[in-house]
Amino acid sequence: MQDNNDNPPAGVTPEQATKMLDAWTEVLKLPTIGPMYAFSKDFASYADEFARLGKIMAEMKGHLDVYWGLVSTAYAKAAKDTAEKSPKQFATKEDFDGYRKAIIESFEDAFTGLFASAEFSSVYGKVFSSQMDMSKAMQTITEKNFKALNLPTRSEVDEILKDMHELKRAVRDLKKGMEALMDDAARV
Amino acid sequence: MTQQEFKPEKSEQPASPVENKEKKPAEGLARDLEENYRKLEKTRSVLHTAGKVEVGQTPHEILAETRAYRLLHYQPLAGKTARTPILTVYALINKSYVLDLQPDKSWIRSLLQQGFDVYLIDWKDPTSVDKYVSFDDYVNSYIDDCVDMVLKKNKVDKLTLHGYCMGASMSIMYTALHQEKVRNLAVIAPVIDTERDSTVIGNMAKNMDVMKMRDTVGNLPPEQLYACYSALKPFKQGVAKYFNLVQNIDNESFVGNFLRIEKWLYDTPQIAGETFRQWIADIYQKNLLAKNEFMLGDLVVDLSKITVPLLNLVADEDHLVSPDCSTPLNDMVSSQDKRLMRFHTGHVGLIASSYSQNNVLPKVGQWLKARSD
Repeated sequence: MQDNNDNPPAGVTPEQATKMLDAWTEVLKLPTIGPMYAFSKDFASYADEFARLGKIMAEMKGHLDVYWGLVSTAYAKAAKDTAEKSPKQFATKEDFDGYRKAIIESFEDAFTGLFASAEFSSVYGKVFSSQMDMSKAMQTITEKNFKALNLPTRSEVDEILKDMHELKRAVRDLKKGMEALMDDAARV
Repeated sequence: MTQQEFKPEKSEQPASPVENKEKKPAEGLARDLEENYRKLEKTRSVLHTAGKVEVGQTPHEILAETRAYRLLHYQPLAGKTARTPILTVYALINKSYVLDLQPDKSWIRSLLQQGFDVYLIDWKDPTSVDKYVSFDDYVNSYIDDCVDMVLKKNKVDKLTLHGYCMGASMSIMYTALHQEKVRNLAVIAPVIDTERDSTVIGNMAKNMDVMKMRDTVGNLPPEQLYACYSALKPFKQGVAKYFNLVQNIDNESFVGNFLRIEKWLYDTPQIAGETFRQWIADIYQKNLLAKNEFMLGDLVVDLSKITVPLLNLVADEDHLVSPDCSTPLNDMVSSQDKRLMRFHTGHVGLIASSYSQNNVLPKVGQWLKARSD
């Protein structure tokens, strides 16, 4: 049986960790070329983007809590109204039909009331906006990767689309202007 | 086996008259349950074939086709047609075949039978490259091109512009800018004064950051529209209609109507990002169309410039476009010849129902006929 003191220590010592991080820092500082250069250059902004994404998700959770709170309140109101409007016994087909009608009417009233309220409109707008923020943050991170690999990004494609539309409109206006001139000339 | 085992169970023995009386409701319920189960099974198999239902069957030719639209020209169904052709502008929400859903409930067919020459702009689905397509493109390019083609084909100077819902709003924008090509303007449920709109859609639109949506996801995804639809009449239509379907599953005509409407409801294309931004931000949130401040490119849409005869059709039960949102149009235009017709029906009922065939279309035809020679 070997002495325990001869075994290497489990895990990484603080000294080893510092040494490893220093080595990576040196690597990141190297005057690299190609994708590695881009990755190292954008390292800090990547961290910022992920932090931003986390913040957006936390905000969205807050809005979703309010949203589901409103839905739960409407549901509770509908359930209460259903119980009040429902038949007291279920012996005939009419009793079941009455119950079905009570459910539909109560839930319809509670939920259309909710969807038509200013409170719902506000929280729906916030949830919608958070979803867009989240997509945007993820797109930003993806675009950084695309740039690093020298691929066209969504924003660049959008710029091209915008230019194409402006060109199309310019051609349309020129064409219509030309037709009008030709009509005038034909009249003369 | 003992004798005891052959003894019939109590429920199988003939019951006394008193017992019979007590059992009747239970037996009735059991029969109903069995019948409902049969109907449910039939509904399930019918719904599996829902995609095969036929719509838009009125004979037509495709006069022109681009990436954005198909211009349909319907074959006449009357011996003599009115001199002024009708160009129908459908909305950008769902598909235009709702105007020709089935032969006995077809808006288009009825107009043809009443002696009109009918064209329809059938919008094609936008793709991600159409993110920046705006109302300027729809009105000043696509509709204008279609108008020119119809005028050329019929050798006339003017036509009747006829729009439904968002298509009605686009027809109004077009008329305000190109009135020289329009003889009559006939609109169905137009979105005009959104401050007076009290629908759930209007409420949800109030706080939507649509600029962010355009810049992030581009076009409006159909799923977002489904979310809006499901909030309209979530239980009376969203749930109760399926109960009605099960109850009427043996009625072939009812099932056919149901499936056609259902197909249309869920046949939802994307909406071009910039167009949707204008629709929500400029029209719903800022009410620019009613304020005569809505811009199409460099041009202001001023409704007071409209002087052509106007027919405005409104549904009192419309839960997509409030009647109060549509009716102010008649006060905003400068037309001397203008008419507002209100009908006791809903947004789709106004155009694709027996009610519409019997009560709406004869009056529309009469109004148009008097102004189409």
